[in-house]
Amino acid sequence: MNKLLLLIVAIGFSISTYAQKSISGKVVDKTTNEPLPGVSITVKGSSKGMAADFDGNFTIQNIDENAVLVFSFIGYKPQEISVTGQTSLNVLLEEDAEALDEVIVTAFDIQRDKASLGYSVQQLKPEEFAVAQENNIMNSLSGKVSGLQITQGNTGVDGSSRILLRGITTIDGSNRPLVVVDGIPVSNGSSSGNPNGGRDGGDALSDINPNDVATVTVLKGAGAAAAYGSRGMHGVILVTTKSGVSKDGIGVTLTSSFTVTEIALTPKLQNEYGMGAFDSFSPIGSDGRPNLDYPSSWSYGPKMEGQPYTNWLGAEDTYSPRGNTYEEFYQDGHSFTNGVSFEGATDHSGFRMSFTNQDTQGIIPNNTLNKNTINFRASSNLTDKLKIDGKVTYIKSKVKNRPELGEGASNTALQLSLMPRDIRLEDAKKNTLDANGNEIKWNLDNTFNNPYWALNNVYNEDSRDLFQSSFSAKLDLTDKFYITGKTGLNYRVSDGTRHAAAGGKANSNGLGNYGTNQSKSSSWNSDILATYTTKFSGFNVTGSVGANYRSDYSKSIGVSGTEEKVPNFYRISNYAIVSDSDSMRKKIVYSYYGLGQISYGGYLYLDATIRNDNSSALPAENDSFWYHSENLSFLFSKFFGLKSNTLSKGKVRASYAKVGNDTSPYRTQSSYNINQARTLDYTVASIPGTLPNPNLRPEVSNSWEIGTELGFFKNRIHLDFTYYETLTEDQIMSVPISGTSAYSNYITNAGSIKNEGFEAQLNLIPLETENFSWDMGLSITKSKSVVESIDESLESITLNSLMQVSIEARPGEEFGTIYGLDYLRDNFGSKLITDAGLAQPGERIKLGSINPDFYGGISNNFKYRNFSLRTLISYQEGGEFFSWGRGYREMFGTDASSLIGRVDGIIEEGINENTGFENTTPVSALQKNYTNNYVSNIRTDLIFDASNIKMKEIVFTYDVPKKALGNSGVQGVSLSAIGRDLFFIHNATGDIDPDASNGSSPTATALEHASLPSTRTYGVNIKINF
Amino acid sequence: MMKNIQNIKFKFLLVLLVGIVFTSCEDTLEDVRENPNTVTTIDDAPLFANAVRSLFGGTLDQGTVRFAGMHAHYYVAGSTSRQPDQYIDGFDGNYNSVLNGTYNGVIRHSEEVLLLTSNEETPNTVRYAMADIINVMGFARITDGFGEIPYTEGGKGKSEDILTPKYDTQQFIYTDLIARLTASINVLKTADPAMAYPDSDPIFDNDLNKWVRFANSFRLRLGMRLRYADNALSQQIVSLSLADPLMEDNSHNAFMIQTEGQGNGWYGNRTGYPSIKMSTFMVGKLENTADPRLAVFVMQDENGNYTGQKNGLNDVAFGQSDFASKSDMGLALSSKESKMYLMTAAEVYFLRAEAALAYDNEPAVANDIYRMAIETSLRQWNVGAAEITNFLASPIGTLTGTTLEQEEQMGTQMWIALTPDYFEGWSHIRRTGYPVIEERTDSDLERGVTNGIMPKRFLYSSFELSSNGTNASEAIARQGANKIDTPIWWDKN
Repeated sequence: MNKLLLLIVAIGFSISTYAQKSISGKVVDKTTNEPLPGVSITVKGSSKGMAADFDGNFTIQNIDENAVLVFSFIGYKPQEISVTGQTSLNVLLEEDAEALDEVIVTAFDIQRDKASLGYSVQQLKPEEFAVAQENNIMNSLSGKVSGLQITQGNTGVDGSSRILLRGITTIDGSNRPLVVVDGIPVSNGSSSGNPNGGRDGGDALSDINPNDVATVTVLKGAGAAAAYGSRGMHGVILVTTKSGVSKDGIGVTLTSSFTVTEIALTPKLQNEYGMGAFDSFSPIGSDGRPNLDYPSSWSYGPKMEGQPYTNWLGAEDTYSPRGNTYEEFYQDGHSFTNGVSFEGATDHSGFRMSFTNQDTQGIIPNNTLNKNTINFRASSNLTDKLKIDGKVTYIKSKVKNRPELGEGASNTALQLSLMPRDIRLEDAKKNTLDANGNEIKWNLDNTFNNPYWALNNVYNEDSRDLFQSSFSAKLDLTDKFYITGKTGLNYRVSDGTRHAAAGGKANSNGLGNYGTNQSKSSSWNSDILATYTTKFSGFNVTGSVGANYRSDYSKSIGVSGTEEKVPNFYRISNYAIVSDSDSMRKKIVYSYYGLGQISYGGYLYLDATIRNDNSSALPAENDSFWYHSENLSFLFSKFFGLKSNTLSKGKVRASYAKVGNDTSPYRTQSSYNINQARTLDYTVASIPGTLPNPNLRPEVSNSWEIGTELGFFKNRIHLDFTYYETLTEDQIMSVPISGTSAYSNYITNAGSIKNEGFEAQLNLIPLETENFSWDMGLSITKSKSVVESIDESLESITLNSLMQVSIEARPGEEFGTIYGLDYLRDNFGSKLITDAGLAQPGERIKLGSINPDFYGGISNNFKYRNFSLRTLISYQEGGEFFSWGRGYREMFGTDASSLIGRVDGIIEEGINENTGFENTTPVSALQKNYTNNYVSNIRTDLIFDASNIKMKEIVFTYDVPKKALGNSGVQGVSLSAIGRDLFFIHNATGDIDPDASNGSSPTATALEHASLPSTRTYGVNIKINF
Repeated sequence: MMKNIQNIKFKFLLVLLVGIVFTSCEDTLEDVRENPNTVTTIDDAPLFANAVRSLFGGTLDQGTVRFAGMHAHYYVAGSTSRQPDQYIDGFDGNYNSVLNGTYNGVIRHSEEVLLLTSNEETPNTVRYAMADIINVMGFARITDGFGEIPYTEGGKGKSEDILTPKYDTQQFIYTDLIARLTASINVLKTADPAMAYPDSDPIFDNDLNKWVRFANSFRLRLGMRLRYADNALSQQIVSLSLADPLMEDNSHNAFMIQTEGQGNGWYGNRTGYPSIKMSTFMVGKLENTADPRLAVFVMQDENGNYTGQKNGLNDVAFGQSDFASKSDMGLALSSKESKMYLMTAAEVYFLRAEAALAYDNEPAVANDIYRMAIETSLRQWNVGAAEITNFLASPIGTLTGTTLEQEEQMGTQMWIALTPDYFEGWSHIRRTGYPVIEERTDSDLERGVTNGIMPKRFLYSSFELSSNGTNASEAIARQGANKIDTPIWWDKN
């Protein structure tokens, strides 16, 4: 390996020597002839460089006789000048009105000048997503792109992320944007847990290796994404991987990062009262142990004062608090990522290959991730007219023990948060099994395990093998006419196995269980596109026609069993009751499309797209649908010839798009399932609970946006503002219906959602000198989705629910309104209290909304010589969530808030329902918390404000000066210290993380329940270029 | 020449490119439209089998395990499953699944069979009659739990596209259910078994004679249910039922042994979660009369005694009650292969005894049938002949006292004999008032939201109120507040 490296370094790093000289000169503005201070001057092909002084003067010593100098300055067009035969230079730099504009990768990998685009788009560079080393690259975009909202719940290593671009537009479905890697759409699926249990199965987007990515471009609106057809309805994130063509010779890059993850936020628990109820110890049963039924096993016993008592195991002990169980149970996680890449290019060809290994250990001792990625990309101009590009990526990853979440029995956080406060965690650890091999725990309820029993006896692992390959060719038939063809295949094999040992009643009633599942899925995408470009009398015209074929196929086979025969053996033969599953799905879509662009004078651009999709998921009569988009960009600063220093750039843009969408397959025909029965001599069949719809039509989304880009003071102030509106109608959804119809759901085109909002991105360069620069980015997004109508037979659609709190779509209200029971009140709003002193459940009312009022990020980037510091603060104002975790902890008496009224009881504020006088009857804390939270299900006080400001990211980088590297053969070394999710600057809810959801569905953030602790991550990252 | 070669090469490449890109397009849309995991047409027999099995499954649904069994004071469940025993009502999700469970199982599949056996191409009146009986039983079960329910429009989501079915009064439902049973009985009395379900009958193996007895016995149950709500109709239905064959011995019982999965659900409760302990009420009733079924229905505790758990304890008292040490449900009821019952001959004899006393005013006949009922019940549980003789010879073996006392004696014995059909046991108490479940007044008892009175129905869930709100509200307006102590139409005691 070392020898190979040396060889490659030797090839790539050859230095030739020439005669040396020195040169001096002055840089001025071409039009004003004013000197330009601080212009960057570099010697092309070397690391040598300097900046012009305050008067625009410069002198460079010891350069090659035939060197080329590159002069660059912000707001000006760069210039290259050969020094051959010259000793002094007068350099005239020309102002560039679009200087800050970038080349943007748009749909079909077409590279466009940003100025020409009629829609909102934002592109990110590697330093913005590759340094902080997130497992899922999308998490790095959080707070950096306006309109993009990303939240990651606390669901263990490899957890999924909730990704929304411009809010929610459809009632059903994930609302996740389409992700396209090198022109081929990839799976953007995620599998999430929920508050009732389950595990987060991960996010397909974590298969994108940040180290291999060159740019990430976010196409926000449908106008930008219409070319991708129906799948672009929720926006598109384009990922372009590194291709290796940009570098001469062969380069080798080593990257290595090590990060530590530690607990950052856990619920505040009380340390004064231990196991028992009504201020008494739990009565001792005939087995010598205290009664473990509710509420005796809650933390409403006597005050803990070190007195002798019989503990939960039936042993004599002293009754004292035992400290922070979270900190004792969870460990510091860590992650080690190492990568090597080779890239090289000749005149005609380029390649890049890379290997990355990631080893992650979560905060739960047995929760690990191992991922290996091999990536190879090569391109070549075979002839002057034919260019080919190919890519193969292979990813192998394995995750062990994805944690169970929410109310799931083996959720360790659930157990730790509710366990009586006098139980030593060490005792739970030492006492997991009784003499009969059954689990020992502190509670009879089947929602709880002993956390250590769960750790030792409940297991899951899954592995996936993913092949992504693509091949494309571009053939120039004439100067004006070319054809590109592209085909890409994503193939994924997943294998998952899980088991729970017998002996724990919470798991298959003590019988134990096992299951293994294998699935494979493939997605094949092919495109052919012919493009013709011409120019006449000031017009540039480009027109393309194309076709796309897409086929998605998946097959899954699984087997599961319960009733373990012998212990500690986990194969299906060891289970008495077995069932299996076998299913496949296939969907194909044929599309035809046309793209056109007309530009005039370099200041007016019009783009139009038209597309026709034909989908097998829709009934034959309605399976073909059309949509289109029109985008207009007008550079008024250029049109009016504005040359002022104040307004350096002015652009307005407008976009309109109509996008159709199909649905998942098999929703149009009624059918029957054949039941799996192993003992019956007759056949049993069943009818699926969802009523199909043979008349399904494609759903339609109409959207428009207007925006402007304004640059001031040579673009040192740059504002990008967009207002957008989307109306999505005829939405295809599975509507939950009254069970009295004998069905649970039906598929229909129903309802419309109007989504509107604005997003703004302000970039500032407050300071820029030779050695020091400071730039700032502020983003703000305000997005509102209002349900205009739903199916006429329904009052509302429940999107998600937990413990009688429902997240609903109701006509006239915001999507994601939180409903639950309020207190019973009189006409003046006072609570009506019973003679016993208890509050009562009243009306089911709106208690909040999942949608923030606005959100965004503030980024700062400081550079001083070779040091740079990037910081990112994310913020959210408004939005609410329901914390059943808190409700449960109060009821179990473990939460710090349950200390209220322990001594004298609680007098509910309100009036007696019979006398009309103010309530004066106290109730015990137990009675109040239990009755309000669990019996009466009053939710008013369990809805919390999600507003927060978070120190999201700090990255400190030091680029080792090239001269320090000398002749070592090393071209660059970059060292970074990184920190992620460091702390809350402000968290309205205090001890609960508003992002701590159990999943990634659009409404997941609304429901918190016994989430794993929030974590912060910090570490170091080194990157070496040879 | 060179130029030509270039051109040919380009054309070749172009063709190759297009070819590669579109070789994968081997399927047309039509090829993949159909769901490969399901079938689109099917004989009705597997659906009928499903409906019947769902009906049996329903005898162990949450409505029974979580509510009826404890309301009727047969047992007490541990952990949070105990809550309904405190006469409280915060069980929205449970109520919803009880309501939907029967609609989505029994009703969905029997409705489909009714549709398939009544269409013009493949009509089959025999199968239709059998499916109709199952459908009637499903609706009877739902209305007994909730009162008014969607009936004429209920369960018609697929057949008639009705997604928000209107509710019917329980009076109407009962009248119609009985009429449908009568029609089915008349068809089956003369039907050709070959037209029925020779290979797909989970209950009687296609014995239509037993089907007639079953349907007619069920009609008798429904008829007696109307005793206090519509006495005239009740008498009329009962005499109609007595004129047709009824279940007369245990070989006519409608039972099924669950061989799939983990078997009888009570097995899981006895060995797993939540623990079920037989009630002091039940144990007391059996012990007081030296009932030989004590050892059948109740297991000995660790000390070899039969100790019951008291119903309705408040949380403090429950904590001190040493619940874990109490007697479990008997092995005959709670083994994997324990039978699940829809109806038994013993129940039929009890209903007939009650009719003889109440409608025919024939105490002697009533007593004879009452003794037959007890004997049939004891035989059902394999009690030995000597023990049967002894038990019948004891005071409980003969109806004594005033008519009211005799009614109570019969009512209590019928409650015992209904075991393990706890749901029917709850309906029986609501209808007759026997055995008497006293109002809870002791300080260690929880009075819940009913002032200590046994709950009388399930609530319409918030989901039902939102997804079928207008219709449910109309039902509430007719029936009374959506509370668990609002009696349903036939419940007059």
